[in-house]
Amino acid sequence: MGTNASQLEKEIGMEFPPNERFFGLANFGNTCYSNSVLQALYFCKPFREKVLEYKAKNKRPKETLLSCLADLFYTITTQKKKVGSIAPKKFIARLRKEKEEFDNYLQQDAHEFLNFLINRINEIILAERQTQTTKKPGSENDSKGQEPTWVHEIFQGILTSETRCLNCETVSSKDEDFLDLQVDIDQNTSITHCLRCFSNTEMLCGDNKFKCDNCCSYQEAQKRMRVKKLPVILALHLKRFKYVEQYNRHIKVSHRVVFPLELRLFNTSDDAVNPDRLYDLVAVVIHCGSGPNRGHYISIVKSHGFWLLFDDDMVDKIDASAIEDFYGLTSNVQKSSETGYILFYQSKDCTG
Amino acid sequence: MTEERVKRKAQISFTIRSEKETRHHSGVASILYDATLDRIHSAGRDGVIRTWSAVGKGQIRYIHSMEHHTDWVNNIVLTCGGKHIMSGSNDCTVKLWNGHKGFCMSTLRTHKDYVRALAHSREKETVASAGFDRAIYLWDVNTLTALTATKNTVTTAALTGSKSSIYSLAMSPDGNTLVSGSTEKVLRVWDTRRYTKTMKLKGHMDNVKALVLNWDGSQCLSGSSDGTIKLWALGQQQCIMTIRCHTQGVWALAAPESFHFVVSGGKDCRLQFTDLRNSNCLSILLALEPHPILSVCLSPDLTMVWVGTADSTIRAWPVPQVSPHGDDYISDQAYAGQPLMEIEGAPAIRQYAVLSDKRHILTKDTKGYVQIYDALKAVKVEDLGPVNFDDVVKERSKQVYVPSWFSVGLHTAMVTIHLAQDENDCHDCLGAWVSAKEVGLLSATAEVDQKVNYGRLLLQALFEEWKRYSVPEQQQQSPVETPVNGFFSVPGHTPCVIGEQGGKTMYRFLVRDAGGDAERSCLVEAIPQWVAEQLMDDGQPPKFIKILFFLTPQMLNGKSLKKERLFANDFISMRKVMEHVLEKMEEDAPTLDTTSSTSVNPEERVKLFCLDVALSPDADLRTVKNQVWKGPGDLIITYSLLKPV
Repeated sequence: MGTNASQLEKEIGMEFPPNERFFGLANFGNTCYSNSVLQALYFCKPFREKVLEYKAKNKRPKETLLSCLADLFYTITTQKKKVGSIAPKKFIARLRKEKEEFDNYLQQDAHEFLNFLINRINEIILAERQTQTTKKPGSENDSKGQEPTWVHEIFQGILTSETRCLNCETVSSKDEDFLDLQVDIDQNTSITHCLRCFSNTEMLCGDNKFKCDNCCSYQEAQKRMRVKKLPVILALHLKRFKYVEQYNRHIKVSHRVVFPLELRLFNTSDDAVNPDRLYDLVAVVIHCGSGPNRGHYISIVKSHGFWLLFDDDMVDKIDASAIEDFYGLTSNVQKSSETGYILFYQSKDCTG
Repeated sequence: MTEERVKRKAQISFTIRSEKETRHHSGVASILYDATLDRIHSAGRDGVIRTWSAVGKGQIRYIHSMEHHTDWVNNIVLTCGGKHIMSGSNDCTVKLWNGHKGFCMSTLRTHKDYVRALAHSREKETVASAGFDRAIYLWDVNTLTALTATKNTVTTAALTGSKSSIYSLAMSPDGNTLVSGSTEKVLRVWDTRRYTKTMKLKGHMDNVKALVLNWDGSQCLSGSSDGTIKLWALGQQQCIMTIRCHTQGVWALAAPESFHFVVSGGKDCRLQFTDLRNSNCLSILLALEPHPILSVCLSPDLTMVWVGTADSTIRAWPVPQVSPHGDDYISDQAYAGQPLMEIEGAPAIRQYAVLSDKRHILTKDTKGYVQIYDALKAVKVEDLGPVNFDDVVKERSKQVYVPSWFSVGLHTAMVTIHLAQDENDCHDCLGAWVSAKEVGLLSATAEVDQKVNYGRLLLQALFEEWKRYSVPEQQQQSPVETPVNGFFSVPGHTPCVIGEQGGKTMYRFLVRDAGGDAERSCLVEAIPQWVAEQLMDDGQPPKFIKILFFLTPQMLNGKSLKKERLFANDFISMRKVMEHVLEKMEEDAPTLDTTSSTSVNPEERVKLFCLDVALSPDADLRTVKNQVWKGPGDLIITYSLLKPV
């Protein structure tokens, strides 16, 4: 490990960015689902900055998952050495305390963890905001409570679902917030294709008719989902674990899905706020193995123009061309694979 | 969304209405003119086909209603020179009617989804039906009319291959050419003699909702949701004219067989007349209806067009005539003026709220009038006029909780009540037990109160006649006048339907007819087991609904240690809980008090609280649980004892 660390430093050499640290995270028994997501989030600049800002503002906070995360990020940034590895002991201990499902040594789904983490951070911020406002009487409680938290400002987008009743031809639309888009995947396609399918028109018919308020009855309808507000960081969750009734369990879908380094969304709604937002790929959580409850998670991240691979406590510099290895398998024979599972795209227009 | 493949459970539905409903309550989706008797037939989304006589100028008289469908009637065709009518409905059936007398002769249940379109060939007396199950069936009308009770099997020919739900059909007079329009956006042309598809015509950008064929089947007009009307030459397999006179979807077309002109209507409420004799296709606005146009029908002399809209009123408008001298239609500024005739409809009920007693329903119609219905007795109780709906809901809501035991549908613009049994569902029909005194079924002065189950009472009332005639006569104890359920009967004209939950109709009958021979033999097959249980004397009465709760003494400081776990009927009153507390006290310390607990008023000794709210002795357990405790987890009631006076 020590040799690996110094090798990495040598490899990067003169280019080594000042004030940047590349630290692996020790594994406490199947905690790679957490390590891989934490590394990806650490290299989502807007997120890291906000977490460190939180650390700076809250000198002696009550211990929460967020305070533990802030401590961990702070520890990494303040390391004397440029490379190495540390043990996220406190964070994992807190995580196990907070959610029963994570209180064991089993492999967990990295996406479920990401979702839990973002939502929990949001709850913590809201709760702290609440106690602050109640301490200060006279402040407007309501307006403060509705303001989005910084974690929502980073990850939250809006999807709009438009439903057109085929009988009265009235379109009704409904907005819903999202923290990540969960996309179905097809063999030998690209993320752009999968996102287009995500927004394909779905026919509500047969047993699944639409209850039209205007017609006061169930009618056939066309429904489609489009993105109305594009988030600063777009997290794309590739649905690689598919339930197969025949086996009575989830099977990994290793389909090859190309993800570009630069992404523009085409499935935006007509009234989208920022439809032309251009995104850069900044981090990918990769699943290695054959099923959801087995295998391993690693992540690749982009930092100062080059790519790094984090495998628990190991850190390696990789060529951008090596990213192709994580697109998936072209053959449909089900076997173990190393495939992109969660993609983090960061908006170019954010100054992070 | 549900991926369950379980067979749907059967439910009972009934509609609360007047015995005679002589006016349409909702949109009119199809209109026919019977030239032999000068009658108009109109098919409504209230599930009723109504017949009107058109004798004399401006004189319209209601003749009769054809009632048997249980959902929207989407299309009707006139066959055998007006002797028979066929109809297709959202209840997934096609029905054959005696057109002159207006009774249902047979019901065809071949379709698996809504029947949306019908087409008729006058020379062959064939009718085609199609809908959301994508299949087209061809029916020989003469075979259908020859059906009897014993000889009642029909064979039908199917045209298959359509990939999407079919919304429109047209058949040539000779019956050889059939055209279908669907969400596929193409017209499919079928050869009915070979049962094959002859061509697919592409050009529309959206659903095809209206079709007409000319006299020899060589030309076709199509109206589409893309807002255009297209004229097709079938021989050349191409579109020869696109008419853009509507701003939104075109839903209805009518043209004489010569295809000299076409009258069209749709979502934009515009009734348009388009001259088809030359390629400039001059289009005139005939009328602007207040609601989207669903159907248009030309009078036989082509001087008038009858228009049905999403509202219930039917209007007749004048059609421009060719001037005796020239080729031009007489342009008349008055076309978009007054209708020639009008068949006034009734308002449609579009909004409802079930009041907190879970028995009365507040409704609001398209006129803005508010009504109150009693779901239990299947009657309208009160017309409140143009009052504020939300205010009345608030005014009439009581601080009492009764489990919801029915659901409401307004698909026919009248109040339909659905009763279903599902122990896990929030609308379980047998889930509401109430005190007969409290809800006014027994007078307040009655000696003993009785717990009654709303769903059971109603089922017994709906099947009252069936029950009377199913019991052998010598065993009949009660005279015919007394209600079978002991409290009330529902109006005999109430239509009652046994059907799949949210799906097909299996059997429809009127409450007063359920004792008839034919009905009884059908009902034996159709009545779901869970309903039969409630009708039979030896059947299982519904179970009481139990609630688990904890009873604990109130402590001044610190948590209480004693927690009594109790399981009780959901309707017991807090007074009963108070009595229980007192009894417990006596058991624990029998010698302390010499006066017997029965002589003590429990309200004076015990106070109950839930989340610091003092509970009234009259409040029942379920109300406390749902309106005070609210949250998840088991209900906790605390008590404190007052010093004896």
